[in-house]
Amino acid sequence: MYGYVRPPLKTLPEEETERFRRVYCGLCHTLGQRYGAAARFILNYDFTFLAILLSDPVEESCSKSRCIVSPIRRRSFQPSSAALELAADESVILAYWQLRDGVKDHDWLHGVKYRSVSKILEPAYRRAASLRPAFDEQTRLQLALLERLEAERCSSIDQAADAFAALLAAAAQEVDDPVRRRVLEQLLYHLGRWVYLVDAADDLKKDALSGDYNPVALRFGLGDGVWTAEARREFAATLDHSIHMMATAFELWDFGVWTPVLESTLYTGLFQVGKAVLDGRFRAVRRGRIRKNHKNEEETT
Amino acid sequence: MNDPYQVLGVSESATDEEIKKAYRDLARKYHPDNYHDNPLADLAQERMKEINAAYERITKERSGGGRPGSSNGYGYGGQQYRTSSSSSVLQQARMAVNSGDLSRAEALLANYSDHNAEWNFLKGVICYRRGWMDEAKRYYETACQMDPGNLEYRQAMSFMANGPRGAYRPGGGPFGTEVCPGNLCLELCCIYTLCNGGGYFFCC
Repeated sequence: MYGYVRPPLKTLPEEETERFRRVYCGLCHTLGQRYGAAARFILNYDFTFLAILLSDPVEESCSKSRCIVSPIRRRSFQPSSAALELAADESVILAYWQLRDGVKDHDWLHGVKYRSVSKILEPAYRRAASLRPAFDEQTRLQLALLERLEAERCSSIDQAADAFAALLAAAAQEVDDPVRRRVLEQLLYHLGRWVYLVDAADDLKKDALSGDYNPVALRFGLGDGVWTAEARREFAATLDHSIHMMATAFELWDFGVWTPVLESTLYTGLFQVGKAVLDGRFRAVRRGRIRKNHKNEEETT
Repeated sequence: MNDPYQVLGVSESATDEEIKKAYRDLARKYHPDNYHDNPLADLAQERMKEINAAYERITKERSGGGRPGSSNGYGYGGQQYRTSSSSSVLQQARMAVNSGDLSRAEALLANYSDHNAEWNFLKGVICYRRGWMDEAKRYYETACQMDPGNLEYRQAMSFMANGPRGAYRPGGGPFGTEVCPGNLCLELCCIYTLCNGGGYFFCC
């Protein structure tokens, strides 16, 4: 998960962006408390969205503290809760397995950064896996399946996306209420499908150059990584069907105070990110941000 | 029963017009068309019943308890596939799909060797319910090629190909990646300032 799932922060009232930020900061604190400072780097908007989906419909009273990124001013954040702990544990497991995937996908030299980061995350992963064995097992299972499909160069985008979608749907398996679990499983399945497909679309050009497996390129015959008008229309329609499934699931459960953030993400944010990816605008911005982040980290260390 | 005003999300002092508007918006959201072949359609149906009952109760109360109001509530029912099937196996598969038993429907289709238009259509419905949207579209296309005159197949194919354009979106407005207004570039720039200004840079 790479930060594709985000609310349209600019159009949301400040009250709601602050609420979103408090979960973001809360998840960061929870990761730090449970797994040490090094685990905090896995934090992203996608995991924040997961934490919100798993949260209770009311916001608990906030804590305030200084932190490495706000060393002077104390900032309010959501204190650890069962939902944040679940989201933190599942985030660690997902992040670790994605890093392992990165190690496998690269040769020895280019895999250095994945190997070193996954080494740092390994103790955190072992703890998270022991806390959530069922989710860890699902994750291993689905990622092994995905690896097989990649090796076979599977050209069914549904089948390739199904592994990641099923994996994300498993994030709801600890939810007690059966209706809430059904709603979340459906929502997370299509969120996983959407993320997987958008990520593949985002990698079209890169994979065309490197020859790496890309289900979207194979399905639509885009060997050069350039969209045809017809393929783009078909692909956008399949993304929209998944967003429609997420939205119809979302409307069947009362998410309380989180409703505005979730609603704007599902009905606006995903469309905007999807369009930016199709236009080739998303990757450029993300690269810029990653460079910027590294610079910041160097400055503080 | 819950407070009908709460169900519609309006205050008791709301005008008739406001109540009607709230009802229409909710009815559009949970309308059977918005949940066609949706695996959660049963939950939407319950919600729809609740909304219809609430609206009916309010209009009844406000009209002095007389006639049950002019609310012809939106109902579910169009969800079933009623077309007569060409074979009893396909008929059973349809029934299994309607009852939500996809594994049984799949097993029935797997043992049926005549892959005719209806067989392809039913495969498409199963794929759609499982969330395999691209495969669903392909099966619907095959069904249409085999039986171009069938309206049910044509509707399904057109819906898959064009995307859920008419789907509910709060406040109206078009539903779709290519048609939704708003420019993400600006939004991302904004997130930059929010991140840096807010002092947290771990976001990625």
